[in-house]
Amino acid sequence: MTTELTVDEAAQVRLWHRVSQFLFREARLLDEWRLREWYDEMLTHDIRYSVPATDVRGETADALGLIDDDAARLRQRIEQLLNGEVWCENPRSRTNRMISNVEILTDRGTHLDVAANVIVYRFGHGRSDAYVGKCRFELVVEGESFRVRRRVVVLDHETLYEHAKLSIIL
Amino acid sequence: MTIEPQRPVGDPIVVDDFERLSFRVDRRAYTDDDLAARETTMIFDRCWLYVGHESEVPGPGSYVARDVGGRPVVMARGSDGVIRVFANSCTHRGALICSQPAGRARSFRCPYHDWTFSIQGDLVGVPIPDGYGPGFRKADFGLARHRSDSYRGFVFVTFDPEQPRTLTEYLAGATEYLDLIDDQSEVGMEVIQGAQLHGARANWKLMMENSVDIYHFRALHKRYVGYMESLGSVPPRRRGGFGRALGLGHGANELPPAAARPLAYWTPMFGAEVRPRIEATAARFVDRFGAERAERITGTNRAVLIFPNLMIIDAIAITIRKIDPVGAGQMAITSVALAPKDEDPDIRELRKSHYLTFLGPAGFATPDDIEIVESCQRGYLNRTVRYSDLSRGMNKEVPETTDELPAREFWRQWDRLMHGDDGHLEVAHRGEMQGAEAR
Repeated sequence: MTTELTVDEAAQVRLWHRVSQFLFREARLLDEWRLREWYDEMLTHDIRYSVPATDVRGETADALGLIDDDAARLRQRIEQLLNGEVWCENPRSRTNRMISNVEILTDRGTHLDVAANVIVYRFGHGRSDAYVGKCRFELVVEGESFRVRRRVVVLDHETLYEHAKLSIIL
Repeated sequence: MTIEPQRPVGDPIVVDDFERLSFRVDRRAYTDDDLAARETTMIFDRCWLYVGHESEVPGPGSYVARDVGGRPVVMARGSDGVIRVFANSCTHRGALICSQPAGRARSFRCPYHDWTFSIQGDLVGVPIPDGYGPGFRKADFGLARHRSDSYRGFVFVTFDPEQPRTLTEYLAGATEYLDLIDDQSEVGMEVIQGAQLHGARANWKLMMENSVDIYHFRALHKRYVGYMESLGSVPPRRRGGFGRALGLGHGANELPPAAARPLAYWTPMFGAEVRPRIEATAARFVDRFGAERAERITGTNRAVLIFPNLMIIDAIAITIRKIDPVGAGQMAITSVALAPKDEDPDIRELRKSHYLTFLGPAGFATPDDIEIVESCQRGYLNRTVRYSDLSRGMNKEVPETTDELPAREFWRQWDRLMHGDDGHLEVAHRGEMQGAEAR
């Protein structure tokens, strides 16, 4: 015998499923280097993408981070990556993003705050690296789908000593 | 380990031939494990080494723990306000007495047996003291204090009790550049929270060379130059610039800015809103220092190499880059941003933003520097080509920034120290002119 979901629970499962599918698609586009599609179709025009410093642990407004891109600089990052101008991504590395622990923290109707864990494996130029982090997304609801307005990846590494650099989009 | 000559006479690593205007470095200098071990004893155990900036230990009890010259140390400000640098190792059995990278404390307690040391380094607590005889004196077991000193807020340490030079003597001509940095605020400069901790699979000296090499800029950093142009950066208002040897291995490049400087040099990429504030700051510098020095402080970029492993790059932001060897083929890099304590919040945001555009493991330039020095290290695996060439500018009285004089100054001091020679202050070497003198 099965216990039926309440109406509220069913709505939550549907929302969680939509959010998860959205994040999985984002991961796939990034892994497939379909960066312009990702930028055009999945982000808001006021996107902010940040990776805080590893010795700060989390977002601190006053601190310097590793990445703090507005839309213009993110667009530039994408064009550089796709045009082969990024020395250390030419030839392109292969990446594989594992998204898990997707959790809707708050649902404000038009916006969702979402947490997820991510491991990004990167292979290329004789190296294999793994970036492990906790993501926070602010998603803007757009019909049945979403756009990302805020995208923060807090790395769990103490340092990027082994990785040397962070040349991909996490 | 023994300190013996590890190569036969007549087989030098640095081949400095002014007659032929040729300067070559044997690539074993980047790959040889014995030479890397010898660098530890002949260079890092003897030189003054950068520990950190005074602003990182702002008040009594504040401390940072980090590795300097391969050794774990603690830099702490005592309750008396004095900054001391200690060996981060318990005098009892050796465990780290501080495992937090930074913080504030009244004392350090070794977790092994609870020996407790004051922030001044005195041993103040020993559990079960009746296990020691009457000859045991706590005063004999204080933390080992290293000889340290600071210049304009930059704290250095030396592990050589017989280091003959004071810090100021050791810094030689580089003090002029630390003055140009520290003069940027009347109330002092500070390290911005958030360090970029990364590395590279290459010999540490490659990153030192890279950091004073302007020749590579337009080739390797096309994407950064393109981005800056897209933001509306303007060509320098002055042409020129020059490289300098500053003595004892230190060197610098000085050049007109190709982009804005958050301190007091506005270009359209900063936006119209902050222009009046930045120009007002520039005017205050003219009042304080006179037009010529104000222009040098506010309207000039510089990259300063302080031997052996500190780089300060003052351009679109100021970065302090500490580069530590980890054997021959790996380095650790610590980069932080330095800024005026009293900086306008909007301008601080611009500084941080433009810092990230260029610098750090995810900037639009540094990753390419990392990739290229790793590429050099890989290239050295083919031992057929024995030497790297660093002769650019030996044919000129005033070497330009695209020449390699600062790197030669680094290598000449490296060579002297590796031979057990203490180095000497004369900057002009075998006829090579110092940029400043010829200027």
